[in-house]
Amino acid sequence: MTKLASVAMAGALVMAAAACGGGEGGGTEGGGDGAARVGLAYDIGGRGDRSFNDAAYRGLEQVAEELDLEVQDLAAEADETDADKVARLQLMAEEGYNPIIAVGFAYSGAVAQVAAEYPDVQFAIVDDEANDLPNLTNLVFAEEQASFLAGAAAALATEEDHIGFVGGVENPLIQKFEAGYVAGAQHINPDIQIDIAYITQPPDFTGFTDPARGQAAAQGQYDAGADVVYHAAGASGNGVIDAAVANEQLVIGVDSDQYLTADPEEQPYILTSAVKLVDTAVFEFVQGAVNGTAEGGTVRFDLANEGVGYSRSNTELIGEYEEQLDELQQQIIDGEIEVPTEP
Amino acid sequence: MTTTPAPEPEAAPAAVELHGITKRFPGVVANHDIDITVRRGTVHAIVGENGAGKSTLMKILYGMQRPDEGTITVDGTPVQLTSPAEAIKRGIGMVHQHFMLADNLTVLENVVLGAERLHGIGAKARARITELSDQYGLGVKPDRLMEELGVGDRQRVEILKVLYRGAHILILDEPTTVLVPQEVDELFGNLRLLKREGLTVIFISHKLDEVLSVADTITVIRRGTTVGTVEPAETTARQLAALMVGGELPVPGLRDTVAGERVMLRLEEVRSLSPDGRPVVDGVSLDIRAGEIVGIAGVEGNGQAELIETIMGMRPIASGAVLLDSVPITSWHTRRIREAGVGYIPEDRHRHGLLLESPLWENRILGHQTERPNARGPFVDIRGARADTQRIVDAYDVRTPGIDVEINALSGGNQQKLIVGREMSGEPKVLIAAHPTRGVDVGAQSAIWDHLRAARARGLAVLLISADLDELIGMSDTLHVILRGRIVGTADPHTVTPEQLGSAMTGAGLDPDAAAGPAPDAPDEGEDAT
Amino acid sequence: MNDRLSPRVRDRLSSLGLLAAALAASAVIAGAITSAVLLATGVDPGYAFAEMFSYGFRPNSVVAIINQGTTYYIAAIAVAIGFKMKLFNIGVDGQYRLAALLGAAVGGAWVLPPVIHQVVIILVAVMVGGFWAGIAGYLKVARGISEVISTIMLNSIATGITAYLLTEDRLAVQVQGSNNIGTRPIAESGWVPGIPAGFLGANNEIYGLVLLAAAVGVGYWLLVNRTRYGFDLRATGQSATAAAASGVEVKRMVVYSMVISGMVAGLIGMPQLLGASHHYALDFPVGLGFTGIAIALLGRNHPVGIVFAALLWAFLEQSSLALTIHDIPREIVVITQAAIVLTVVVVYEVVHRIGRRMQQQRVGAQLGTAEVA
Repeated sequence: MTKLASVAMAGALVMAAAACGGGEGGGTEGGGDGAARVGLAYDIGGRGDRSFNDAAYRGLEQVAEELDLEVQDLAAEADETDADKVARLQLMAEEGYNPIIAVGFAYSGAVAQVAAEYPDVQFAIVDDEANDLPNLTNLVFAEEQASFLAGAAAALATEEDHIGFVGGVENPLIQKFEAGYVAGAQHINPDIQIDIAYITQPPDFTGFTDPARGQAAAQGQYDAGADVVYHAAGASGNGVIDAAVANEQLVIGVDSDQYLTADPEEQPYILTSAVKLVDTAVFEFVQGAVNGTAEGGTVRFDLANEGVGYSRSNTELIGEYEEQLDELQQQIIDGEIEVPTEP
Repeated sequence: MTTTPAPEPEAAPAAVELHGITKRFPGVVANHDIDITVRRGTVHAIVGENGAGKSTLMKILYGMQRPDEGTITVDGTPVQLTSPAEAIKRGIGMVHQHFMLADNLTVLENVVLGAERLHGIGAKARARITELSDQYGLGVKPDRLMEELGVGDRQRVEILKVLYRGAHILILDEPTTVLVPQEVDELFGNLRLLKREGLTVIFISHKLDEVLSVADTITVIRRGTTVGTVEPAETTARQLAALMVGGELPVPGLRDTVAGERVMLRLEEVRSLSPDGRPVVDGVSLDIRAGEIVGIAGVEGNGQAELIETIMGMRPIASGAVLLDSVPITSWHTRRIREAGVGYIPEDRHRHGLLLESPLWENRILGHQTERPNARGPFVDIRGARADTQRIVDAYDVRTPGIDVEINALSGGNQQKLIVGREMSGEPKVLIAAHPTRGVDVGAQSAIWDHLRAARARGLAVLLISADLDELIGMSDTLHVILRGRIVGTADPHTVTPEQLGSAMTGAGLDPDAAAGPAPDAPDEGEDAT
Repeated sequence: MNDRLSPRVRDRLSSLGLLAAALAASAVIAGAITSAVLLATGVDPGYAFAEMFSYGFRPNSVVAIINQGTTYYIAAIAVAIGFKMKLFNIGVDGQYRLAALLGAAVGGAWVLPPVIHQVVIILVAVMVGGFWAGIAGYLKVARGISEVISTIMLNSIATGITAYLLTEDRLAVQVQGSNNIGTRPIAESGWVPGIPAGFLGANNEIYGLVLLAAAVGVGYWLLVNRTRYGFDLRATGQSATAAAASGVEVKRMVVYSMVISGMVAGLIGMPQLLGASHHYALDFPVGLGFTGIAIALLGRNHPVGIVFAALLWAFLEQSSLALTIHDIPREIVVITQAAIVLTVVVVYEVVHRIGRRMQQQRVGAQLGTAEVA
């Protein structure tokens, strides 16, 4: 029996050796000529969440096209510990990727460790500013400012003085959207009625990926009398838009300009979108890193630098409020209005 | 008959002939040297105790298992039955004890299911079913929904299913267990009609009165082999019973009484209920003294198994009391009862007595996990258990290459010897022995008897349950008869005969004479059991 | 003595040999399946494997594999305890998440002297895990609810409870400079320092709680193979009827086993909590309980087998990173993992049967034809 076992073991070793040998001549594509290679590490979900991670990927695509750089993106798994995140970032650093972008606060600890280990590599982390390292750029957004304008637009457009908000998952990030939205609406009309709904509570993150429940939540608010609903719910927001179309009521999109990605029959109901330019942030960071101008510390994207804002694509609807909204925008930029970040 | 696909020579050889059929499994009694000839157009009964090897034989006949030796001849042609499909092709069909019917389908759908190629699933099939039903008087309506049918009707559908597939030899496996008496009569009517139409029926049962009333020929199986073939006209239920349980085996003698005065186990009006509230042990009272073997005789299923489980704390006791050496143990858990000195040889050693995939020495521990030499504090004492296993293997002549082989690999007799050795270890006060020699070979049987005798001489109190009347009569100091959960009589093992006991077990008297003690040589032999 | 031991040793060796053969065979089969998929997608399998091996054996990768394997190991042991008794504890996932949350909350709320601090956190986690699993055990014996159903439900309830507790009014605080929220960070007195892995040439550290995993493994082996309780556990798993007849109170065993399984499950989050993150936040790993099921299957519930299974699993996941770098879909590794688990289960069963037949033949040969009369 032991003989059989040893034969089997030997066989396995031979296979392993053969596998190693076989790869010798494989080589890798591109790179190696000193041109920068850009690495991007996603949070759970990865590409295809139609929200955050996708926005980051659009920035990466832009990098690949306009800067003609080699790009690579790696996704995370739900059951991984910090050790995996560290390993992922280390792998990219060792493979010569520079700069490297980590998406999501889950990378906070890992990126701090790896950035310290590889001082010559430029790192960035989206949505986190917990660390302060010379080669780590924190890319953060003033979501509440864009949401403030969304809230103001909703308050201006409503005929019932009754609006709604559908959040994907009730975590601090989405609560920032809620806080800004409520503040903006009440700034226009202090007596306005605002319905707040979240699809799920953390650690259940399916609220970002469940259009059916998004639709149900929005339907409830329309039924209750709201005539404008703002969603910050990732892919679940598609359900919110469906509900708006079905009820022939207004809806406000989020992150990107959803008027542009909507079907023609949906467009008339999309009042505006609170835009958060993750793609621009990624692109600009890479550009800076390649040019050697990237710096450590925090880069905040807000109304002042047009990292966030509201969209004006649906001119028919938003046109009449544009003047007022732009005025509010300026007041925020000037610091005359301070937007809260917590509800 | 017209349906039969196989050509049928008119010379009429036997429908089925089995010669020298032997089937071995590791560790269990199967079949050996089975010889049966079933004549065409008859009802041929095969009777035997549970575990005698009927089911293996049936599986061989139906192609579910292949014999290691021997020949099968169907209609004069030697055949190899490799699968049920092959058996069907040869015209052999099986009506299972548990119906295999889909409730939510109609009779027609159930019948054609899996046999769609024969007559399709439409009008032709319906016509064929009606034709068969009329021909054999089954009264089956093809469009009834199965769930509307009673048990008897369902059984007729099962029979029709088999006929539809072209069978002319029907195997019925314990067909009456699910039926009430009127339904049994109807079934027998159907069988007679089938027979008259030229079909052959093999009827497997252990109910002697039914067999006597319906069969043309009866073959008795005991311990895996055929022990006799008789015509019902020339035999009685008692003679059959004697054949079944083995009247001619050497009697395990044991005459001098060594029973002391001390009552080691006392049952007082013990009652136990089935899950649906029926009493399965109904007011049993008995005493077992030190050095006494008390036997319980009864047809299987009359509460013996439940009685034992109740004593062992495996089954809740509804009322009454159990006293071990004058200590009430009624509410004790099994482990405490065992620790207090009750050994237990279970009826079904595979279910209750062994861990089949564990080595011998771990099986030595089973049931005695908390006792020396198997345990030390909260730990298992592997060395102690192994050493003691070796002792048992030597003392009880357990034939094994070592104590590390899985107990699965041993024959049933050797498994049983290990169990007996285990339960005799640690000087128990009481031994509950259910069928201690069932399924073991003759050599192991007498060895186990010797050990029981020796333990009795040392003062062990034994409750013995067995289907082997010779064993009961030969081993017991006192003999009780159990029927429907009640002790219905007490016999003197010195004088009672297996025939008398068999009669008492079926509820037909004897008790007044036998209970009195002196030898009643020939009590009324008149009526058969109910 | 010698005579008696030698067959024992021989049996051991032969069963180990068969086990090794089963593992080797399934590795070959799984490799073949993976290669076929790779070929079908137009990737040279040799190249893919070479990349995985060369990356997987880098010093830092080895450390990451050990760290991940540590967590997997504890998860698989928790599952294996149930498996030994044919209990399917699918709820390991919810048990460890709840345990880690409450352990972290207690650890963050109090500052205690080192050692005591860690012990308190671990004890809280163990108790929470045991309690949560015990609910399923109780439901099974008292109400006859299959533990599969109840543990799945309890996973969802654990998620709900976590959501309720992990808010700023209750156990959570906003993580500084982040949109994350988590429990109050555990003071340094409650951390478990890493083991420097310079001897491997790596600059990452191995979780200090790798030692806890080792202790869990040894404890599991002792419990199952050396204690009366373990004997009862295995007996019940092999044959509940025989165990009951032997005096085991099967219902009580079910509850105890679920509780012990849950207590071990409570440890799953500890390496990450005490060794890396020091708080329970939204990004705490989820799903480890399910990974543990696969690894327990792969390791045949054996304390040493699970070591290899956990490391293999971690190796595959770790080295799969190298695949994405080269634009080979990482999901290929999931196929490999699934194929290994399936083939191990099947091959092991086949090998087991062959082994049994061989043993029976040996018994037969040694005893002549002392079969049935």
